[in-house]
Amino acid sequence: MATTEWPEGLLEIIEDFSAAFDTSERYEMLFELADDVDELPVSEWTPSTKVHGCQSEAHVLACLNEDDTFHLRGAADSKLVQGLISITAIALEGLSLAEVAIFSPTYVEEMGLKEALSPSRANGFLNMFKKVQHGAVLLGE
Amino acid sequence: MAWSSDDWPEPIALSVEDARADFPILKRKVGDGKQLIYLDNAATTQKPQQVIDAMSEYYRNNNSNVHRAAHTLASEATTAYEESRLKLKHWFGATQSRLVFTSGTTEAINLAAHAWARTNLAEGDVIVLTEMEHHADIVPWQMLAKEKGVELRWTPFDLETFELDMDAFAIAVKGAKLVACVHTSNVLGVRNPIEEIIHLTHEAGAKLILDAAQAAPHDRLNFEGLGVDMLAISAHKMGGPTAIGALIINESTFQQMEPFMGGGDMIREVHLDHSTYQENEHMLEAGTPKIAEAIGWGAAIDWMAQWDIDSVHQHGLFLAQKTVAELRKIPGMRIYGRHAEGDGAVVSFLHESLHANDLASFLDARGFAIRTGHHCAQPLLRKFNIAATNRVSYWLYNTEHEVDEFISAVTEICNKYT
Repeated sequence: MATTEWPEGLLEIIEDFSAAFDTSERYEMLFELADDVDELPVSEWTPSTKVHGCQSEAHVLACLNEDDTFHLRGAADSKLVQGLISITAIALEGLSLAEVAIFSPTYVEEMGLKEALSPSRANGFLNMFKKVQHGAVLLGE
Repeated sequence: MAWSSDDWPEPIALSVEDARADFPILKRKVGDGKQLIYLDNAATTQKPQQVIDAMSEYYRNNNSNVHRAAHTLASEATTAYEESRLKLKHWFGATQSRLVFTSGTTEAINLAAHAWARTNLAEGDVIVLTEMEHHADIVPWQMLAKEKGVELRWTPFDLETFELDMDAFAIAVKGAKLVACVHTSNVLGVRNPIEEIIHLTHEAGAKLILDAAQAAPHDRLNFEGLGVDMLAISAHKMGGPTAIGALIINESTFQQMEPFMGGGDMIREVHLDHSTYQENEHMLEAGTPKIAEAIGWGAAIDWMAQWDIDSVHQHGLFLAQKTVAELRKIPGMRIYGRHAEGDGAVVSFLHESLHANDLASFLDARGFAIRTGHHCAQPLLRKFNIAATNRVSYWLYNTEHEVDEFISAVTEICNKYT
């Protein structure tokens, strides 16, 4: 997916991150974005919401809006990880389930975060993203 | 001319500046151009140029398999390889003992479990451990317990003083056959009362294996002086290469050992119906050994030998104590460890409202390499009801200025994000 095809909300975030001075500033932005997610409270964390392969405890739940478009809820004990979930939620909000299923996770690279993420966190991000996509597939069945 | 310990110079007090100059990696920048500040030495230390050169020189000029060939390169490689063993024996006060090369401390402990404990322990025998152990000194004994029906007894430690409950140990060790104990905790930095542990262990008629992975970089361990039966160490935590370590074994324990792995280098004769084995350390070193790594470790010991080890220890402890004093000023910060005289240069800490991984990421973005996680000691962390800590660990090239920079960064991050 080319840059210009990113959903508007995500595009804005990519531009902000790309303009950041350094990794510290990107992390600061990620930390602040953590609060924007539709937070999944700890009471709703279950084995089926857990993201495996992530150093922190992260949970995601694929949901539907009233108009049957996609909506993501999620949370993590690490605010930086929750920030990544939050950006993913913004990226996928209001898309059709079919669009979610083919969405590319490369927005992290365009935000200049891929190099900054440790391999385990990068893998954790991809695991989280695949889990979200799988959740969308299950919702469509 | 053969190597002799007289070749080592009279050690001088540590000069951090001079020591640091030998580590090219410490000059590098990381991420988006930040100066690296390496504070993860308990995981692995950096290597001085002398080690890098020794290993390169071996591959450039001397590479050959050791022990079984009548040509010049084989002779040079064998001499250099065995010379490293000799240097290590001198360094660790083990000239009358056996030093078996392994892949590291983990393999050394596994070797003790397979080559000694498996042969000498039977169902119902007791092994005493502590709740401070690294996974490498827990899992091999659990595997053995499952296989042989051996009982494992655990020595607790105090959550406030971070010290082993020696009264509990004194009771647990009665009737035991083996004690497996960490010299210096990789999480708490606590140096355990080794002399007392050795005394009680031998009084009970048991043998002692000491995990000295974290002690070796800061202490001049005297294997025979201490009277330990087995000692496990890693090269890479003391300036040497990765993938090599050793199990040092006293003669009486060595004589009770059976081969662990079969194959080249450990045999004397092989027939179709039976084989006979080497009677020296080679019996426990099957296959082509870690030649370049052994030579690199020898070079690391040569390099270490120039410094007075007490001054190395005091320098690390000073940095650790300063770190603790400054971290305590940050509201919500908890320190794990007592950092008393004799302890290692390790500081584990955790902020009550900033996730350990987030703090490590913020620090990484500023150039600091610190460790975060369970440090391969989950039972220890579980006692504190936590899953992870942040940990900084120092070695002889770390400066007070680096500590100041680190404290300044942590303080700024905690002020901003908590």
